[in-house]
Amino acid sequence: MSTIVDFDRFLFAFTIGSHILIVSLSIGMAIMICISEFLFARTRNKYYGGLVRRLIRPFIVAFGIGTASGIVMAVELVNLFPVFMKLVSSTGVIAIFYVEIFAFFLETIFLVVYVYYGDTFKGRYTRWVLTVPIVVGTLLSAVLIVMVNAWMNTPNGFDIGAYVASGSITGVNPWAPFLTASTGYEVFHVVASVPLTGVMLLGGFFAYRYVRSGSADEKALFLNGLRVAVALSLVLVVLSILAGALEIDGLWKYQPLKYAAIELNPVPGNNLPWTFFGTVSGTSVVGGIQIPGLQGFLEGGKTMPGLSQFPQSEWPPLIIHETFGVMLLGGALLGVFVIGYAALWFAKKKPFDHPILAYAFLAFSALTAIVMELGWMTDELGRQPWIVYNVLTVASAANYNSSLYGPGIVIILAYLFLVPFTFWFMDRVFRGKPIAVDLAGPAGGEDVNY
Amino acid sequence: MSTINWLFEINFAIFAVFLALFISELMGGVLLLVAYDATKAKVLPYIVPIWEVTGTFAAFWVVTADFAYPSMLVPVATLLAGLILVFLILIVVRNAAISFAELILKGGRISEKRLYQLYGLATVGIGVVVLIVLSAIVSGAGVTLATLNFSLWGWATASGSLPYLLGVLLIAVGLAPVFYNVEALRRITVPFTVAGVAVETGALYLYSSSFIGPAFLIPALFTIVVPLLYQFRLTAPIVYQKLVFALVGAIIVFSLSYLVYPTAFNGALPVDAVTTSGPMVGAFYILTAAGIVVVGLLSVLFLVVVWRAKQARVPPAGPARPQVPVAHGP
Repeated sequence: MSTIVDFDRFLFAFTIGSHILIVSLSIGMAIMICISEFLFARTRNKYYGGLVRRLIRPFIVAFGIGTASGIVMAVELVNLFPVFMKLVSSTGVIAIFYVEIFAFFLETIFLVVYVYYGDTFKGRYTRWVLTVPIVVGTLLSAVLIVMVNAWMNTPNGFDIGAYVASGSITGVNPWAPFLTASTGYEVFHVVASVPLTGVMLLGGFFAYRYVRSGSADEKALFLNGLRVAVALSLVLVVLSILAGALEIDGLWKYQPLKYAAIELNPVPGNNLPWTFFGTVSGTSVVGGIQIPGLQGFLEGGKTMPGLSQFPQSEWPPLIIHETFGVMLLGGALLGVFVIGYAALWFAKKKPFDHPILAYAFLAFSALTAIVMELGWMTDELGRQPWIVYNVLTVASAANYNSSLYGPGIVIILAYLFLVPFTFWFMDRVFRGKPIAVDLAGPAGGEDVNY
Repeated sequence: MSTINWLFEINFAIFAVFLALFISELMGGVLLLVAYDATKAKVLPYIVPIWEVTGTFAAFWVVTADFAYPSMLVPVATLLAGLILVFLILIVVRNAAISFAELILKGGRISEKRLYQLYGLATVGIGVVVLIVLSAIVSGAGVTLATLNFSLWGWATASGSLPYLLGVLLIAVGLAPVFYNVEALRRITVPFTVAGVAVETGALYLYSSSFIGPAFLIPALFTIVVPLLYQFRLTAPIVYQKLVFALVGAIIVFSLSYLVYPTAFNGALPVDAVTTSGPMVGAFYILTAAGIVVVGLLSVLFLVVVWRAKQARVPPAGPARPQVPVAHGP
């Protein structure tokens, strides 16, 4: 029985892990296209126009694959965790999914109009205006799905006591799940960190291509893209650090067990150390690196929760301490790199001309994606064994139908091929046409095969 | 006096729009598979901009179904788990194939033709899965509700199932040249559509004679009238007008709602008993009203843009830049 539950869990984790990678790049590209369209309309700098033209092609691919993996996730939720979805659909959480559909319509219709019919608009700023709802729809979709996640962490909107006692769903307030105790923290964190991942991935690509290219026009195009990416990353990395700090505070308030696990606090206390790696043995931490008093200092001397306050059967896997630690370290290094790179640029030191910094940018862009995935793993593993915190366990919510195995394995194999292929294909179509064509190409019609 | 179950009606109306859009894609997929070179000029300019909208309507229907029938989610997931995952695999193949086909570079090992045909194949596969699920819900074929078990073999060996699939396929082949206005295939439209409707009538009768009545015959007649109108120069432009065709298609699908209401699974499941209740009903109405306004406005925008593009004789274009003077220098 538990094997099937673990399979359900792994299949969904694998699917969503792949999905957020493609979607974060898709969000990054939408933002870059929007800003580049604006800059092109304002300055008429042909390199911003060329950048738009090149970015649209991989964006179409990312959007198509992202939509498919989004549908896969939505249907998998019903298929793999039907009891969870029954609870979702009987309470206001389904209303969040419902609103997300309209955000998706906004994004889709404007994308179709912008990509396939944009040339019918002649106004100077019209094409830029068409990209704004695409960005709004894309970000709104991310915000709404995070609202669902926030509800899973801090559920509300129905009589939880009655549900836990008898399984009956009563006292439903359909609007309450739109604003749970953790919604603000989570939404702020995601709105900053997911676009940061997408923009950093593009920034790394531009920095690498800039030093590799021998064409002056290509260099100018990549430099313009890099300028936008660095400026955006600088803002987003600062916001991400702030949002991360606030979210830790939210965990302390609303999910003390998850907090105790990620900080690896065996017992509660006031002036606890900050621990990197290590493990719990009884009431103490064994191994790892400890900085005495740092946790207490960062949290302003508040009383920190400890694992001993909770039954061990409810502890999440303590590997989240490692995922959290690596995420934190990676995030800190990323912040230092982005701020340093921007400072060098501001000081007219031309960091983009240094191949080592270009390769470093590429490595840090990959690190951003790893940090995002680790953050998501920390959040999801940290809620285990619950699917809805303190209300419904994954084991109680899962589908035990063994017919899931075969098609589930095919989905995993398909993703193992599809995700890397998609990234490779996006690179190919981005550079698919000579730079001269993208800078001075005809009004359109030749880019799509039909 | 019974009252109208508006949740069912709204959910079915959304389903009807989705299915009408999907059928239009399915017909295109069939044409790409059997006569790619002869039909691509007619099929691709429609499918390429619209396939994401169809997918969005599918998601719209799935979410409203979750909203309207929460108590059905566990039985449906238990009954159709494997089939649903097959559907998901086909969705990934469909989206990936058409996304790559749109942008793949010429002269590579894989041609756009192969990718568009893979899209067509996946779309036909999705159609088959959807039809199996629909016919199981309508007729109960292959379904044992008491044990929440679905047997594909049981479904396939039910007397109406294979004729049901065949009938839809014949109708799709018959109507495809009408929708895409493929003059060269005009002659096959009437015989295929009439044969399809006849086979479909037989299939439903084999499932249950109660399915055959005026509520079935009227949409069946409408279906036959479409290719008949296509035979005449005067009336053909009415039926190959895509918006008209899609609207009529949605109305025809919607008129078949009696097959699953008031009872689904061939009388075994009363729909009213599994429809959501309490405060969730009010939330459903409020969000649906707001959503209809949003989707309505977006649809009008889309139609106006398509109309403008036609007036300007500009085909749906690929990624492009605005035509304004450009300055030089980074």
